[in-house]
Formats: sequence, C-alpha cells, structure tokens
Amino acid sequence: MKKFLNLLVKEIKELITLQLLISLLFTIFLFYFIGQMAKSEIKKAMRTQKIAVLNLDDSPFSRELIGNLRTANFRVEIAKDKDKEKAIEWTKGTDMNLLLVIPEGFGQSLETLDLKEIESYTFLRSFSIVGSKNTAILNAVISAINNYLSNDFLKKKIPDISPEQVKKPIKSKDFVIVKNRMAEGSAEKIAGFVSSQSIFVPVILMMIIIYSSQMVISAIAMEKQNKTLETLLTVPISRTSIVAAKMFASGLVGLISAVIYMLGFRYYMGGFMGDVSAAAASSGMGSVIQKLGLALTANSYVILGVSLFFAILCALALATILGVLAEDYRSAQSLIMPLIFLVMIPYLLSFFSDINTISLPAKILVWAIPFSHPFLTTQNLLLENYQAVIGGILYMIVFFIIMIIIAARIFSTDKVLTMKLKFRRKRLVL
Amino acid sequence: MNAVLEVDGLKKFYGNLEALKGISFQVQPGEIFALIGPNGAGKTTALRIVATLLSPSDGKVSFLGFDLKKQPEKFREKISYLPEEAGAYKNLKGIEYLKFMANFYANSDKEVEEFISRAKSIADLGNRLNEKAGTYSKGMVRKLLLARALMTKPDLAILDEPTSGLDVINALEVREIIKRFAEEGISVLLSSHNMLEIEFLSDRVALIDKGRILDAGTPEELKRKYQAKNLEEVFRRALQ
Repeated sequence: MKKFLNLLVKEIKELITLQLLISLLFTIFLFYFIGQMAKSEIKKAMRTQKIAVLNLDDSPFSRELIGNLRTANFRVEIAKDKDKEKAIEWTKGTDMNLLLVIPEGFGQSLETLDLKEIESYTFLRSFSIVGSKNTAILNAVISAINNYLSNDFLKKKIPDISPEQVKKPIKSKDFVIVKNRMAEGSAEKIAGFVSSQSIFVPVILMMIIIYSSQMVISAIAMEKQNKTLETLLTVPISRTSIVAAKMFASGLVGLISAVIYMLGFRYYMGGFMGDVSAAAASSGMGSVIQKLGLALTANSYVILGVSLFFAILCALALATILGVLAEDYRSAQSLIMPLIFLVMIPYLLSFFSDINTISLPAKILVWAIPFSHPFLTTQNLLLENYQAVIGGILYMIVFFIIMIIIAARIFSTDKVLTMKLKFRRKRLVL
Repeated sequence: MNAVLEVDGLKKFYGNLEALKGISFQVQPGEIFALIGPNGAGKTTALRIVATLLSPSDGKVSFLGFDLKKQPEKFREKISYLPEEAGAYKNLKGIEYLKFMANFYANSDKEVEEFISRAKSIADLGNRLNEKAGTYSKGMVRKLLLARALMTKPDLAILDEPTSGLDVINALEVREIIKRFAEEGISVLLSSHNMLEIEFLSDRVALIDKGRILDAGTPEELKRKYQAKNLEEVFRRALQ
C-alpha cells in the first residue's frame, strides 16, 4: 500500500502542473466573463425598448394602439416626417431597432373589419439571439392588440355572448401521466423543464470522460517517450498497481478539473437561464413536477453518481489501453479520437433523439457503448425504469473489469513496450 | 565463485524477426560485463530481458538462483536498470525523484534517507536537486538517473549506453562513478557501441552482432587473440 501511495502521489504531482492550474483559472474567468456579458445583454434587451412609430392614420384607434405599446413598456418616438422612406432613414440614424408604420385609414378599416396592414421594420444590427428579441416582443404586443380589438368588435356585434366563447368554442384541459401519477399541465412545458434540470448531466459526463482520458493517454505516452516507463516497470511494484495509480490519479484530477469547468459553465449558463429553481417557482411548475415524481431525489443523485463513476472508470481503462498504443506524446493526441466518438454518439443522441425509439440494431450499438448508460440514467430514474439503470451499471462494471484485465495483461507483457500504432515509418530498437 | 547472472541460450523473436539467436554469458560478483556491438545487434533486447521488461522466447536467465520466467519480482528487488537516453519526470524536483524511487526499495524511512544521501553524492548536483528535473541539462539528467540506479547498491546494475549523448567531461564522470561502484561490489551489465569506453570500464566483454555473441573475454585476452591494438580492431577482425 505504501508503494502504491508513493506512486499515486507521483502521478498526481505529474498531472497537476502550473499550466493546468492557469488553464483552469483562465477557463473559470472566461466562462464567468461571457456569462456576465450575456446577463447584461439580456437585461438590456428586457428593459424599456425604444421604438419608432410613423403614424399615417392619426385616428383614435391608432392613438390607442400607441398607448398600448407604451403600456407594454415600449418608449415610443413618433416620426415627424410623414414619408415612409424618410422615416426609415431617420430611424436608421438613431439607436432604435424598430420602426412601426401605421397606414392611413387604419382606424376606419377597423370599423369594417377590412383591416390594413401595420408594417414593422427591424434594423438587424447584430446576429445575437438577444438582437432578435425586439421582434418577438413586438409580435406579442400586436397579438395583444388583436385580441383587444377582436373582443371589442365581438362585444358590439354579439353582446349576449362572451367574445371568448366565440373565439374558442372548444375548451381544453391538458393532463400529463407519468407511470401511475397524473397532474394537470402541458407535456411540452414539463418535458422542457425536466430536460433543463438534467441538461448538465451529459455535459459534465462528457467533459470528465474526455478530460481524464486525455490525461491518462498523455501520461502513458509521455512515460513511453521519456522512457521513464521502462524504469518504472523494473521497480519492485506490481504492474496492476502501476496501471491503477495512473487511472486513479487521472480520474481524481479529471474530476476536480471537471468540477471547476462546470462551475465556470454554470456561471456561463446562469447568464442565459437563471436559476432553475427560480424558473420552476415562477412558472408554477414545481408542484406539477413534484406531483408527477419528476424531481430527482437524493437517492437518485447517488445512483446517478454511481453511474457516472463507473462510466469514468470504463473511460480510464480504455484510455490506458489506448495510451499503450501511443508511440509518443504527439501520437497520443490522435488516439483520444476513438474515445471521443464513443462519448459523442450517446451525447448527441441524448440531445437530439430518443434512444428508446431508435431501431433495434442501433439500440444495441448504443447500449454496447458503456457511456450511453449514464446519459440514460436520469431519464430512467425519473421514469422509474430501475432495471435499466441497474442493468446499465452492471454492464459498465463488467466492461470495466474486462478492460482492466486487458490493460493489466498488456502491462505485464512485452506489449506495453512493443505494441504501438505506427504513425511514421516502422522502427524497431534492438 | 557463483555467477550473479547466468544467461543460457537466450532467444528473442519480434514476430518473424529473430533479434537474439541463443546467446549465453555470465556476470560474476563485482564484475563489469559489457555487451558491445553495432546498432541493432541485440544489446538493448538482451538488457531489457534481464531487466524483466521483455520476456525471453527461449533460453534461461537466472539471477542469484532465481529464474526470470518464474520469479521476475525477485529480479526487480535486486536489480536496477538505466535505459538508454531515458529522462526523469519533468515536474518532479531531482530530490523528489530520488525519494520517489528510493521508496520502492527501502524498508524504513532511515533507509530512504541513506539511499538519498548516497544518490546526492553520486549525482553531485548540489542545490540543483531542489529544482525540477525539466530544467536539467542532458548530462545532469543522466547523472541523476545513474545516482538513482546505484543508490540502492543493487546486486546487478543494468546500464544501457550509460554515456550516450553526453559530452566528454560528463561521460568521464559517469564512467568514474560506474567504476567506483563496481569496486564496492556491485555487478554491472552494460552495453555500448563505444569500444574505447568499454575498454576503460569493463572486466569482461562479449562481442555481439546480429543477435549472436561472436566472442567473449577480457579486453586484454581479446586483443591478444585477435592481435589488435584496441577493441575496435578486435570487433572488426571478429566479424571477418
């Protein structure tokens, strides 16, 4: 044990370099900075917006519309020149991004319901998501005005019936059923909320796996390149301990790095999404989620953690074998690619598709990849598919044991020195 | 006197390539035994097998009575191996590297200190031992590694091209260190293609080419046998 700890401390010292610490600090700073920028941009977009209006109608109806815009938190600047082209030019010269043109006879057209079109001109000065927010808000305002005007019209024409009854003769009430639990709510909103809750899981997993694997592959490749591995293999310690120390140290440093990365990522995402619990509270989703049992419990998090842990171990065992194939540090960088693909397949599938609905051969392929299981764990836990969760964990344990046996065997034979993927001309040292 | 190391009919195949074609030699206690030959002769393969890095395809290697195939861990306890052009861990300080290696061999903290103290005197790197090995020159790294290899006073030190890539002064210092430790009783098995170095260092020499030992003996015996002025001439004539 003392010898193993000696080796482990060395491995950790070798991995935690000044470059690594600087890169981690820089990442946190970068994520934080971008997150804060995004936050301030969104705040800017949400506060009172200035819009230009060219009122060619000037009827009580058009004045009411402008009043509605002011109520909807828009600061309205009226174009003095009654020419559309000149109004567009005038708006272009200001910091306003929207020009609304109310046509002549707009008010009168409302009386006959022979409606004239309101034209809106958006000045696209950037391609950011926030940049297009003005149009969305404007559309919402126009929709509200439409609602108000149509209600007003219906009240006058059919005073005995509520406008809502005319506009929506069929009423609907949405219910969602999960297993044997039922709650009133929109399936789309609930699915959206649950996925926003677990969006971090695949990101964390992918980052930890890639980061730790890169470390273990590079560490073995560096040892081979510097021939320190040759020295290490001749000291009185078991080859399994050498493999285990490398994996353990890389896993530990990978985990710490991933946590730091995720902290940075949280700052970044916080800028866009805000706090999840706050979102749940504001949307009244919390009680529905609780009722449907779609909130992860403490036990669920433990199971998810176990699943993540075994996925990391599988990745490290695979990385150890790939590291042995590396001839030097440079070639090690290419060898991480197969592992990245294996992580990317379930990662992308979990975002863009439902693994349960794909064809059987594709499903078997996805299940055969050990990293698929933690991606599916959150969903399976929420849907109480415990057999699938336990099956996935058992599969990863078996996969890890097989890989570690292969890795230890490779380290116990000549292959640790002779097995390599050649990226250059073949050379054999005799 | 019983030999420390006995190699008998050692063969090694890399796929279809026969790198060693049944070589045999012995190393006596306190003896410096050298394998000399051109690049690709099989020197490194032979040393790597004795160092337990590679497994023999055929033949027998025994060390202090232990069989390599059956008890490689016994070899590892009592040998130390210095690979050709090896490096040290760049992020470890020289002193940390020595302590790290000493911990594998020592039975107590006192013994660790004893090993480190010996290594310090071999390496002669002074305060530079408190700096990271990544900042060392090639000569300094080689001296650090040699100190590591000899600090435990192994029964057999296996040194592959110990002065490879070193300047004249550093090479001389390294040779002196090896000679001094052999005099203290450490057996040394080394390889080199520098015939003059071997002549200065070795008690006995085996000439190896294309996986076969052409001849073996003390440098004087070989020079007499081949009527040569030095080992370079001996090797040339042995090849004819």
